[in-house]
Amino acid sequence: MVKGELDFSNVDQLQQEIQRRSEEVVEVDLRGLQFIDSSGAGMLLSQARLLYKQGRTLRIVNIPGLIREDLEVIGFFRVLEVLGINPGA
Amino acid sequence: MIEVIKENRSKLAVHGLECSGYSLPAGQVGGDFFEFISINDRIVYTAIGDVMGKGFQAACLMEKIRKLLRDCINVNPHPLEVVRRLNKLGGHELRKFRSFTTLCLLCFDVVARRLTCVNAGHHPPLLLSGGRIKVAECRGIALGLLEDYLGSGMDEYFLAAGDVVVLYTDGVVEACGPDEQRYGQERLKEVVCLNHGFDAERIRTNILADLDKFTKGIPQRDDITLVVMKLTEKAGDRGGD
Repeated sequence: MVKGELDFSNVDQLQQEIQRRSEEVVEVDLRGLQFIDSSGAGMLLSQARLLYKQGRTLRIVNIPGLIREDLEVIGFFRVLEVLGINPGA
Repeated sequence: MIEVIKENRSKLAVHGLECSGYSLPAGQVGGDFFEFISINDRIVYTAIGDVMGKGFQAACLMEKIRKLLRDCINVNPHPLEVVRRLNKLGGHELRKFRSFTTLCLLCFDVVARRLTCVNAGHHPPLLLSGGRIKVAECRGIALGLLEDYLGSGMDEYFLAAGDVVVLYTDGVVEACGPDEQRYGQERLKEVVCLNHGFDAERIRTNILADLDKFTKGIPQRDDITLVVMKLTEKAGDRGGD
């Protein structure tokens, strides 16, 4: 579960944790997230693309309301949908 | 040597359209930008964007995107084509650095008073007309996230004298006060309504003053960029110019 703030200063830590996992479906629980910046959103999308290319899935769950709104603006969920169909898009 | 940009402000007044913009990076340099591009005596583009990341790398990418934006407008000025081409050319550069950028591009025809809006992952503009405020409907995916731009297409609005258009980056609505509450879009809309009688420059400064009051001067973690456009009574009348 991710807690606190996910930004430029600590985004590499979560990326390494995702890359360390070997499950077919890697779940990232954002229940405790209070803030995410564009670096955090970009990292999650790049990891989702990477996993889809390997035939695996990055599942992002329990996204707090305000953070969901922020991610909606950049087209985050639409990109996840497209990558799910075509990881090379 | 890295040039320290404390703030960037700019004004444009052309054929009855007033534009006023301001950008304040959170660090020494930032990834936010805005542009006023007048390509002839009737068409003015206004762009606002936010390149992912912080510091020098984001600032360098931002400069490249700004240059590409002008190049794309020169090649084919159709607003949707500008954004599509920019995503193709700039997206490649952005992906190299695992970055992306949001962009809202407005194209205003001062004669027809037609405002065209294309959005790539940015907060849509606020439109104030006849004392009523609304959020433009245009949506789209930020540049660099996908090979091909995906969006809702072009929104068109016909503006009247006195109408106001406000563009802003996430740093404005996500700015926090001492109690960690966000400034938010609702407060921004209220302040725009309260100040609609002033010129674009004054509306911009009054919004920023209210933001400063809300945050009580606490340094913010994101760049803050705000652009206000206002149509004056003389819009569309090019006589004597």
